[in-house]
Amino acid sequence: MRRRTFVKAAAASLPSFGILSAAQAQSKEIRMIESGGLSGDSIQVGYIDPLKAKTGITVVRESPSSLGKLRALVESGQGGTTLFELGSGIVQQAKKLGLIEKLDWAAINPAPMFPEAKNEYGFGYQYFSTIMAWRKGVKEPKNFIEFFDSKAFPGKRCLPDFPHYCLPFALQSTGVPIDKLFPLDVDAAFKRLNEIKKDVAVWWKAGAQPPQLMKDNEVQYSICWSGRVVGDPAFGLNFAGGKADLSYIAVVKGSKPDDKLAAWKLYHEMSLAENQAKAAQVISYTGPSPDLDALLPKDKLWQYPTSKQNKDVQYFENAEWWAENGEAVNKKWEAFKLSL
Amino acid sequence: MNRSTGFAFIAPLLVLMVVAFNLPIIYMLGLAFWDKGRGFTLEHYEGLLEAPVYLRVLGNTLRISLIATIANVAIGYPLAHWMRGLGRRARLIAIALVVLPFWVSILVRTYAWIVVLGNGGLVNRSLQWLGLTDAPVQFLYNELGVTIGMANVLLPFLVLPLFAAMIRIDDRLLQAAASLGAPPRTIFWKVYFPLTLPALAAGTLLVFILCLGFYVTPAVLGGGRVPMISNLLDTLINQIPRWEQASAISTILLIVALVIFAGYRRLDRKASA
Repeated sequence: MRRRTFVKAAAASLPSFGILSAAQAQSKEIRMIESGGLSGDSIQVGYIDPLKAKTGITVVRESPSSLGKLRALVESGQGGTTLFELGSGIVQQAKKLGLIEKLDWAAINPAPMFPEAKNEYGFGYQYFSTIMAWRKGVKEPKNFIEFFDSKAFPGKRCLPDFPHYCLPFALQSTGVPIDKLFPLDVDAAFKRLNEIKKDVAVWWKAGAQPPQLMKDNEVQYSICWSGRVVGDPAFGLNFAGGKADLSYIAVVKGSKPDDKLAAWKLYHEMSLAENQAKAAQVISYTGPSPDLDALLPKDKLWQYPTSKQNKDVQYFENAEWWAENGEAVNKKWEAFKLSL
Repeated sequence: MNRSTGFAFIAPLLVLMVVAFNLPIIYMLGLAFWDKGRGFTLEHYEGLLEAPVYLRVLGNTLRISLIATIANVAIGYPLAHWMRGLGRRARLIAIALVVLPFWVSILVRTYAWIVVLGNGGLVNRSLQWLGLTDAPVQFLYNELGVTIGMANVLLPFLVLPLFAAMIRIDDRLLQAAASLGAPPRTIFWKVYFPLTLPALAAGTLLVFILCLGFYVTPAVLGGGRVPMISNLLDTLINQIPRWEQASAISTILLIVALVIFAGYRRLDRKASA
């Protein structure tokens, strides 16, 4: 370490010495389970590295993060993992099952952030979009009515194998506008899916599938995560009618108090706009700071879920509705899958 | 060495088996009967009857497993028979070719089928080049694709025991039948086939039961259109997570496998009696 950087690091770690001298000691290393891939790298670059530089706290990452894994962690009574990444609907479910704890927002002391990201039980750290995309060279749909019209737009489709993605898009193709989607008319959505299922070659489970299948020309149109297709010249895309959603990082029930003290520090780093800008360089998903747009490169604004032009044409996931109705819809979904 | 000291040597292994394998399985099966708050319950089995979709997935799994097993026998039996007639060297090469895929990851083998059978894959390009079809034939992302993939992965499980049984058949038995004037067809059905039957039955059963639990191949080659029980269990365990429901389904799957095995044992005993 060069002398100057050492002095800087020492200065930066001074405040944490102050806390150490207080009654509680904070852990020097905590563990996090996140969803992996580029998204995990963006957490490393955007938030974990700055935290390490400022406080010396290390965050060890693991993936993937399924709700079943969280349940196993809590029920086996282990206290080794503090932080866990969950989707917006899953946060509600995990709360209902008693698998996560409340955050101490006073201790986190966040920079300004969008209200929906500041959940009692989770820190909404990453906006992501689910949008229509296609292989370059095919006819380009402008909305979901056109996307599902296989006569005017011939080609095979690739749709997510998850009802909370498919049903609202199917409803849009019957002419329902994005602000009238919820409460969701489940029967009408399934009726529409039954009409279009013959054009669907693959129902995907892993986010890497749709771009690969489009490249291989196995399918021509997909509904997929924006971060998987933006910036790739092989694909065209449109945010119109897409779904904006928020991923949360929650605290595992039964975490040690010392680990939680360290976790609040990481959450604080996650609220800073300059860190979110670093994360957005790794993956084109955005953090919850209202000041972020000014720090993002102008020529890439069209790629981000929360840019003004994209935010206005998408609907926002209704996690409460899915928490209420998800289980019943899941059974109908399995029955629908049997009819394929 | 007397019997009791022999047992003492075996005991640690036995404890390992019971603690590491059997107890977790019993705990898992018990999950469906036990509710933390209320004690004993049959609710999760009732749930299966009320929402028959899970049982229909099980039925679908049995049907696809049966098709894949039949395909396996149709390919595996002639293959093993052909290998028996080869010379020493050629036989060695043939065995190596059958066993070789065993050493390649199942995921790699499954993805390889996309390269071979996809819309722009080798087979479809050849068919179009030959002018046999205009549009690509849809081999993948349906039951055909899953069946092909499963038959490929499981073939060695059938061929190896079958080949081992065939190679033990004494050629003089076949010659004796021929010298008594039996035509080749009669020799095959009256002498050769009955001698291979026990190995065929055991191999078929093995393949069928392995099919029931297949996960990777239906997930990749089925394109999400071929619901199988393992993929449903994955959803119930990892995503929803309703372990109690998953446990009830697993119990039924286990019972189905045991019933099939019991049926096999009965037939086997009858045959040897």
